[in-house]
Amino acid sequence: MKKNSLLFLAGAIIVLTLGFLMPWLLRNPFYFFAGYVVLQYVTIATGWNILGGYAGYINFGAAGFFGAGVYLSAFLFTTFGLPLPLCILAAAIVGAVLGVLMGYLTLRIQGVYFAIATLGLVVVLETIVHNISGLGGASGMAVYGPRPPAWSLGPSQYNFTVMVVIAVASVALARWVEISWIGRGLRAVRASEDAAECSGVPTLRLKLVACALSGAVLAAAGAPYPFYTSFVEPVTAFSLIIGLNAIAMPLIGGTRTWVGPVIGALLLASVQQIATVTISSELNILFVGAVLIAFVAFAPGGISDLFGRNKGRARP
Amino acid sequence: MKTRRQFHKLMAATAAGLAAPAILGSKVFAQDKPIRVGASVSLTGPLASTKNGQIGYELWREDVNAAGGLLGRKVELVIYDDQSSAANVPAIYSKLVDVDACDVLFSPYGANLSAPVMPFIKQRDLFMIGMFGLAGNDVAKHDKFFHSGPWGPNSGRDWARGFFDLAKAQGVKKIAIINADLEFSKNAAKGGAEVAKEYGMEVVFNQSYPPNTSDFSSMIRNINAGDPEAIFIASYPADSTAIIRGVKEIGISDKVKLFGGAMIGPQYGALLGSLGPELNGLVNSHTFVPEPTMQTPAIKSFFDRYTPIAVKQGVDPLGFYIPPFYYVAGQLAAAAIKGSNSVDPAKMAAFLHANAVDTIAGKIAFTEIGDWKERRVLMVQLRGIKGNDLEQFRNPGHQVILDPPSLKTGDLAAPYNKARAS
Repeated sequence: MKKNSLLFLAGAIIVLTLGFLMPWLLRNPFYFFAGYVVLQYVTIATGWNILGGYAGYINFGAAGFFGAGVYLSAFLFTTFGLPLPLCILAAAIVGAVLGVLMGYLTLRIQGVYFAIATLGLVVVLETIVHNISGLGGASGMAVYGPRPPAWSLGPSQYNFTVMVVIAVASVALARWVEISWIGRGLRAVRASEDAAECSGVPTLRLKLVACALSGAVLAAAGAPYPFYTSFVEPVTAFSLIIGLNAIAMPLIGGTRTWVGPVIGALLLASVQQIATVTISSELNILFVGAVLIAFVAFAPGGISDLFGRNKGRARP
Repeated sequence: MKTRRQFHKLMAATAAGLAAPAILGSKVFAQDKPIRVGASVSLTGPLASTKNGQIGYELWREDVNAAGGLLGRKVELVIYDDQSSAANVPAIYSKLVDVDACDVLFSPYGANLSAPVMPFIKQRDLFMIGMFGLAGNDVAKHDKFFHSGPWGPNSGRDWARGFFDLAKAQGVKKIAIINADLEFSKNAAKGGAEVAKEYGMEVVFNQSYPPNTSDFSSMIRNINAGDPEAIFIASYPADSTAIIRGVKEIGISDKVKLFGGAMIGPQYGALLGSLGPELNGLVNSHTFVPEPTMQTPAIKSFFDRYTPIAVKQGVDPLGFYIPPFYYVAGQLAAAAIKGSNSVDPAKMAAFLHANAVDTIAGKIAFTEIGDWKERRVLMVQLRGIKGNDLEQFRNPGHQVILDPPSLKTGDLAAPYNKARAS
């Protein structure tokens, strides 16, 4: 194993250990409610970046995958009483299948057309959920989660710990994609798809893999949500705010490496959580917009590019 | 220092003086701390039109503090913006309870935003006043939750029963139901269909439509083809306007005696002002109208103070539908605290279960799951509206109460076409 991978592994173990110990170090449940949202966005931003950052295909449909994970998990729990880890696994599998299906339908188009097609996925899924009474339709669905395991101090602490595990697993997956042959191929696709195709890169297959992995992570991020809010309804589950944050966070943090979405999500989601309970939410939204414009204008490579080791190096 | 004994006395007195705050402090200071009331309000997002309710909270706080507070303590409001998103609600209420240490909680607006907080308050055994969440406690059945809204028992099905009572009295046998494909209107239509069935009415047309529908011409023609005698509509403001205008354009059968029921929009100043006389004849639900049976000095005083603030803030200048019940929420909390002489959730809840409370919306008694014992949703008929001046709606006679019988101020003007033309 290379030195960087060892360092990453050590970091992941430290984060996981802290995630499990945190409920005993911090007694106030509020931090776990707020921390859950921040980690949820770390996962969403990381998942989005696999397709949007590495391959350069801007996906506006993150909320569609997230919502699919939310509803699948809620349905599996309320109907079959499946435990949360199995709900997350099922959501990831369905997210991957959905990603491949979306990829087959949309990956032959590029740029703004691809973005609009992915936005359509959110509208289609939301409309479907609105019209299925078994999923609560427009009225939503109450999900009274099970008691947390004995080792956990309470539901908010348990949800937080679960989200730590999902976030770490997602980041590890994104890093593996980045350093593997898939990541190299996706970088070639982003630089010039035609040139990559001519050089023998299996572009469609790689993009489908990216769609599947991205969809799996985004859907997995949504799986614990019903247990966090105890209630799901389509407007929130498929909210465009999720899709916008999924794009804004990697753009601010940097889209070329796994670090970028993590930094962007930690920064933006934390500020949003603090702003919600301190300043008005109009200012909160204004802040996100202003930061986004500033980064797009002055630091298009994001924070990780500003301070990264490869600063100034020619990039595709 | 004269003697060693005097020195010891002095030292003992100094030590006692220094230790006193630590020994007595918690109790003494707790009495000085304000009573904190926490809430989330939709200041932004799709439900921002409900933010005028905050004026109700603030007027109640002013009044209660002007009267010396509660249990000798001032009342402080802690309010956050939930951005109309259920995703923000759990963290906000955890902040209100775990960081801000609020003694009393008011729920967010409506069923969808309140639902995420119900397991939380049940698990932590907290006291909460619910804000307009239809059937908000029917699943959790928390014994320390009380509605400020007048939905009454079995509200999921029965809140609009008044419309069907009126239809039954008119001998209606065939009814049409349409609704927006959204939470409140879908529930209203479902409950309405059940009540219609119970009353032996035939539902000749029952259709939902997507939320952004703006052209109802084909739907109105289909309704006319079904030949109903009453049309129950559960719609949101934009579609309410489109339906009223569609009926004006296409016309409706002379057989229709009642038209309306659960249309959101005609309760608010913006729609009353923009549609004006086109609303004549409509029979619709409401929570408060300035009719003689509802006007009291207390509620008149409330609106005298509400209006200038609302005008200044640019929110609904009439404010009949929501703000009085936000004030009522405060009155319920105040009654519970004063009545139980405590901010202990169990004692406050026990008081409200055992006693009816006088509020600006009348006397309220609660069932075991915190519903009003008596449904007090109004069915009003809009009449005699001339022009688009909002001030006319402050006078009686334009929103005549047909149901409930205890508050009735007039009889139904039917058929709808005749009432519409009047």
